[in-house]
Amino acid sequence: MSESNIALMSHLMRRAGFGANRDELERCVEQGYEATVEELLDTSNPNNMPDDLIRRYHVEQSELRDLAGSAAYWMYRMISTESPLEEKMALFWHGLFATGYAKLNQARSQLNQVEMFRRSGLGAFDEMLLEISKDPAMLVWLDNQDNHGDAINENYGRELLELFSMGIGNYTEDDIKECARAFTGWTIGNAEYMSVRAYKDSIWPYGRIAWHFDYREEDHDTGEKTFLGETGNFDGDDIVQIISKQDATAEFVCTRLFQFFAADEVDEQGSRCIAAMKETYFESGYQIRDVLRTLFNSEYFKSGEARFARVKGPVEMVVGAVRMAGSHQTPELGIERVSNNMLYMGQGLLQPPTVEGWHEGVEWIDSGSLVERVNFAGKELSDVSSPGIRAIIDRLASTGVGVLSPSEFADGCVDLLGPIAVGEDTRSVLVDYAGRQGDLDLRDRQPGDESEQRVGNMLRLIAATREYQLA
Amino acid sequence: MTTQTQSPTITLDYVKTIGIVNNGLNGRGFANPFDLAVNGDGRIFVLNRCDPARASAIRVGVLTLDEDYLYEFGDGAGNGDTQFRWPVCIAFDSQDNLYITDEVHQRVTVFDAEGNFLRKWGSPGSGDGEFNGPAGIAVGPDDSVYVVEQHNARVQRFTRDGEFLGKWGSQGSGPSQFNLPWGADTDSAGNVYVADWRNDRLQKFSAGGEFLAAFGSSGGGEGQLQRPTSVAVDEEGYIYVADWGNERVQVLDPEGNFQLLLRGEATVSKWAEEYFAANPEEWAERQTSDLIPHLPPHLNTPYHISSQTEPYFWGPVAVSLDQEGRLYVVETNRHRFQVYQKRSY
Repeated sequence: MSESNIALMSHLMRRAGFGANRDELERCVEQGYEATVEELLDTSNPNNMPDDLIRRYHVEQSELRDLAGSAAYWMYRMISTESPLEEKMALFWHGLFATGYAKLNQARSQLNQVEMFRRSGLGAFDEMLLEISKDPAMLVWLDNQDNHGDAINENYGRELLELFSMGIGNYTEDDIKECARAFTGWTIGNAEYMSVRAYKDSIWPYGRIAWHFDYREEDHDTGEKTFLGETGNFDGDDIVQIISKQDATAEFVCTRLFQFFAADEVDEQGSRCIAAMKETYFESGYQIRDVLRTLFNSEYFKSGEARFARVKGPVEMVVGAVRMAGSHQTPELGIERVSNNMLYMGQGLLQPPTVEGWHEGVEWIDSGSLVERVNFAGKELSDVSSPGIRAIIDRLASTGVGVLSPSEFADGCVDLLGPIAVGEDTRSVLVDYAGRQGDLDLRDRQPGDESEQRVGNMLRLIAATREYQLA
Repeated sequence: MTTQTQSPTITLDYVKTIGIVNNGLNGRGFANPFDLAVNGDGRIFVLNRCDPARASAIRVGVLTLDEDYLYEFGDGAGNGDTQFRWPVCIAFDSQDNLYITDEVHQRVTVFDAEGNFLRKWGSPGSGDGEFNGPAGIAVGPDDSVYVVEQHNARVQRFTRDGEFLGKWGSQGSGPSQFNLPWGADTDSAGNVYVADWRNDRLQKFSAGGEFLAAFGSSGGGEGQLQRPTSVAVDEEGYIYVADWGNERVQVLDPEGNFQLLLRGEATVSKWAEEYFAANPEEWAERQTSDLIPHLPPHLNTPYHISSQTEPYFWGPVAVSLDQEGRLYVVETNRHRFQVYQKRSY
């Protein structure tokens, strides 16, 4: 099995998932790249940690009132799913259609939105826009329960065009007003009572009451509207159809997907890749699954240009380290202390800072967040009792006769954590560190002994490198 | 699935709802209640499992049926004798002593009815007297204490002082086998009933552990179960099951035949009335709201329906009976319990 194939597959799994261990990579390489892409795009059997088990042990993840518990609930899905692209797509849409707890005080409904992202996240974009336009958490987040036939509230209409589909400069202020008119009457059930409860952050008397969509016909503006050059008695469904067929929408959606899955920055080759994705967008009837197939199978995505061209987001950092370590695979007391690390690194699930979502790329890194990233990943990867780390030790021990020179030791760890493309400066530091105690002899190792701890320490050091911060 | 509170042989009348969410660290109200037991003089003891944010307040709250909150005991999360991590179930013996299981501490702790610590037993393991995930606990007519262990897939029988008397069960789905069992109760003859949680059934044993019967199969129909968490048996042998995964309670006759189905019909508790009196704007909006809404198809599951339908049971984790024929249904996610009265014929 060639190293280049492993490296390419590792790249794919970091982007379309949260990384993969060597056993998983070898299985994928054996079945081939395109077959693996198809496997990733098939999200019909996630086989994640079952809800009944989670709910049995975690009262907070059964009720889903508390923000920390709700984030942990989603993290359980991410770290246990066998369909990682489903969760990655949910994370993508969560960042794009950014809906935050701070205003809603309603984690249960936010997680219903995430479930909708799982259900529709790889389907047609127009259907996704329709779903998000009826999503209770979104409706309250952008005040559409206050968008009435006789007094419009433009908030949802504005963000639908600016942040969710086309981008600024592709529509007029009149389009925003007409768009808002079309969504009048789209609200949530018991909107007045739920608004009071959300505003007061009331959990009384019996906890939260989750939300559902409600259409109030008597509050809908049925009049004629002119939107993006078309005129008719449009409602929200019509608006979504008009938006979805715009070139600006295809450009917007494909660029955002490219930046999330391929590279933070778009260069000339990247632009050509986005153009191909747009072509697929229209040819497929706006199918996101087909657009992603085009991206993952593109020469750009598979090239060296795209490798390590993204900074890992905090969620990717936490989930990736946990999956590599194979830890936290059953419900455990204190799991929220693990998921809280995402927040400390700057990306709390269910709490994007604004409707714009998170600022990604190099903005993930500052002196504070870097310390959190290094500490968390280092702790997970240095726990030699974790099954994933034990598997790495076993592979190292099977190298030659089980005695590794400093360079073999350092290179082996870098390889099995990715492989990660480290620069020569970084490598020399790692080799120097490996050599401080001479060769690594794993022949007669016992669980957790000094030789195994040396591996854990090396993995911890790699987690602190610049290169490990990149996806 | 509709509520059915009357059959030819048994009728349950809804009485009231007691509770309010307690967002603080002590005092009136409940924080994810997990089990309930009524002592000899009618005091109601509610075990609050608490979410992580309120773990320092894990406790037992004591109140009356008239909703007078009397006192509480337990010192939150920790390893001390009066502390807990993940407490699961409670039960009284004939001397009015309260037994509490903790699935993290791997032990049983005993308090008197005033909340004074009396004793404890258990340590991690699979040997006699050791525990791996103690969950359900029941006290028989002879004061034998039965502890259901989820991960050892067995029932252990003890004296009140924790002296090991016997055990039965193994992992699996056949007779006398268990898959993550949870709650338990005994009947007046001393037979033991276990909620075999992940096998979606109840099992009935003699006091000595002889397999007698199994009731239920996986599903949402009458007599079918989805992750039953708790079982209680009344003086006439009627069996009450917390059909947790289906967000409902079922009542079976002594032979295990389906009789009644409760979906929940919570009303405003006395404590809730006081809350609304202080928050009239919420009360006003609530009065014009439909709290039993019709939901879109993707939310048409018992869990989602209950999360959006306040009167229904949501997380009905425990069923318990008192000596007056009252049934108590504890709802973890709604921080309350609903009370039903069995009608005399």
